[in-house]
Amino acid sequence: MSNIHSVLLKPDKCKGCTNCVKNCPTNAIRVHQGQAKIKEEYCIDCGECIRSCEYHAKYGATDDLADLKEYKYPVALVPPSFYGQFTQDINPAKVMLALKDIGFFQIWDVALGAEALTQVTKEYIRDNDRTLISSSCPGVVRLIQLLYPELLGYLAPFKSPVEIVAQRAREFIKAELGAKDEEIGIFFITPCPAKMTTVNNPLGMEESYLDRAIAVDTIYHELIKRVDNLDDCCKIEGYDIPYFGISWASGGGEADLLEGISTVSVAGIHNVMSVLEELDRGDLAHIQYFEMVACQPGCVGGVFNVKNPFLAEFNIHNLVKKGINLVEQDLNKYDMNLQNSFKEKSIASLDDDLIVAMAKLTKLEKEIEILPGLDCAACGAPDCRTLAEDIINGLASRTDCIFILRQQVADLADEMATLAHALPPVMKRNKEESDDDED
Amino acid sequence: MQKDEIKQVILDCEVEAGDFSVGGEASSKLKSLLHKLGIPAQTIRKIAIATYELEINIIIHTYGGSLKAEVTPSEIRVIASDKGPGIADLEKAFQPGYSTASQKAREMGFGAGMGLCNIKRYSDELNVETEVGKGTEIEARISLRESGDSNE
Ligand SMILES: Nc1ncnc2c1ncn2[C@@H]1O[C@H](COP(=O)(O)OP(=O)(O)OP(=O)(O)O)[C@@H](O)[C@H]1O
Ligand code: SF4
Ligand SMILES: [Mg+2]
Repeated sequence: MSNIHSVLLKPDKCKGCTNCVKNCPTNAIRVHQGQAKIKEEYCIDCGECIRSCEYHAKYGATDDLADLKEYKYPVALVPPSFYGQFTQDINPAKVMLALKDIGFFQIWDVALGAEALTQVTKEYIRDNDRTLISSSCPGVVRLIQLLYPELLGYLAPFKSPVEIVAQRAREFIKAELGAKDEEIGIFFITPCPAKMTTVNNPLGMEESYLDRAIAVDTIYHELIKRVDNLDDCCKIEGYDIPYFGISWASGGGEADLLEGISTVSVAGIHNVMSVLEELDRGDLAHIQYFEMVACQPGCVGGVFNVKNPFLAEFNIHNLVKKGINLVEQDLNKYDMNLQNSFKEKSIASLDDDLIVAMAKLTKLEKEIEILPGLDCAACGAPDCRTLAEDIINGLASRTDCIFILRQQVADLADEMATLAHALPPVMKRNKEESDDDED
Repeated sequence: MQKDEIKQVILDCEVEAGDFSVGGEASSKLKSLLHKLGIPAQTIRKIAIATYELEINIIIHTYGGSLKAEVTPSEIRVIASDKGPGIADLEKAFQPGYSTASQKAREMGFGAGMGLCNIKRYSDELNVETEVGKGTEIEARISLRESGDSNE
């Protein structure tokens, strides 16, 4: 498994179409010789390519249930969106009990961390008079690091609910049971490759509190089998289900909980980009908080989920209605502040040296002029501009463009025709032709 | 020394009067070009905001004009020039909150009277030349020195 990314390609399934190339928000994919290739340094693991591949050639590499055995205390972290995968008769308590049945020692709700984070965020915005962009979706954070580094200062300086709860669960088990770190395995049931990637590559922290991540579609069938054996009206004594936190699963849920704060919710990576473009033009001072998530309509749209995103959203809305209050909890038990600030990933520049970059930019503009500007992607790059950039970086050639190639073939054919008539002077033309010539 | 003589125009485009729908296109384009040049993110932020305000001012206050951006190893210069009407009272124009924006422009969210103040705030040097009846040329210069590396 790649340690840097969790979105990978199955070469035998890739037909070399350019659906993913065109859909990738960071222009990270090219098709070469009938195969898609992801440029690792540009990939933000948002999962857009998995979503757009009709041939299921892109996939997310995650862990599986067999890995539970490696730990004495395997712990499952359930994201809010997971509850959207079930209809009303399978309530959160039932899901949790079924997970225990699979072999998890404890089950923790990420929604609890979401509720706690909401309260802290609200206070932070009031005290600091700052506009924040949510830093909970790793797809969005990486997008900003890569393409909008000028906006990094907007990102909320907090861990994501998943990390907050992972840390809390780990500390709890260590304190209560005297368990050693290596005996505890924190498994996140992940709706997306973006979160999967944070296990090995956390954001704003040196090390993740997660040990593993299992994709929703990997665990789902095992879970459904066990749910069927459980009593319909099962309950977990003394456990308050964090219904409000569960609302984070669908777009707007996170923002709605920030009462008294002016918020905007944006779901879908391309939509997120359009709002970031607006922010590039200056502060939008009347907005205090931007909920931004890569998937539509929120995490229920994560590519590892099994239910249609909109039907899952419907399930979530029904659940959230059951909520009356935030679950009462001691916020001091959580450690929410990020260790590090989010760093720029500067790979967008043509060269580290400004003078060289300026010269390359001139070449780039000239190359763009030469290309037809149809953005057809037949060359394997998403658009003409990107092909031009690949050309000046020595990664592609102008004749990768089928229109340029055709033009060159036509020119060559013309030249051949001309050459065919141009006989060496020592040879005599046949009679008819020389007669014509004299006319 | 010699390096400083290199100067490159990276953006030179017409900005049409009254065309709100494309407002921001020139500054967006400039922003992505600056990323390609590896300009530090916080400098890009300043330039992008200043350029956007200049661009919008041409659209809402003038009969049309152009936007140009020049890069040298030591600074970025953004030059907005227009065909009039010129600014009668410059001091007033730079006062926060002062605006003559039309009702239509205000409905689009412009006209807070903050544009010129922001341009001034985000640029290291600002030169304005204006003549009523003729037009205005505003040059915003943003230095690349402070955040640049010292080995130059
Ligand atoms: N290029 C220009 N030509 C003529 N008048 C201008 C020009 N730029 C600015 N002005 C005048 O200066 C005033 C202040 O400009 P400024 O950009 O600060 O505010 P605004 O454009 O009115 O509102 P905002 O920028 O906050 O949307 C304008 O209302 C306008 O009267
Ligand atoms: S929106 Fe949610 S599911 Fe989608 S990438 Fe972000 S965190 Fe993952
Ligand atoms: Mg203005």
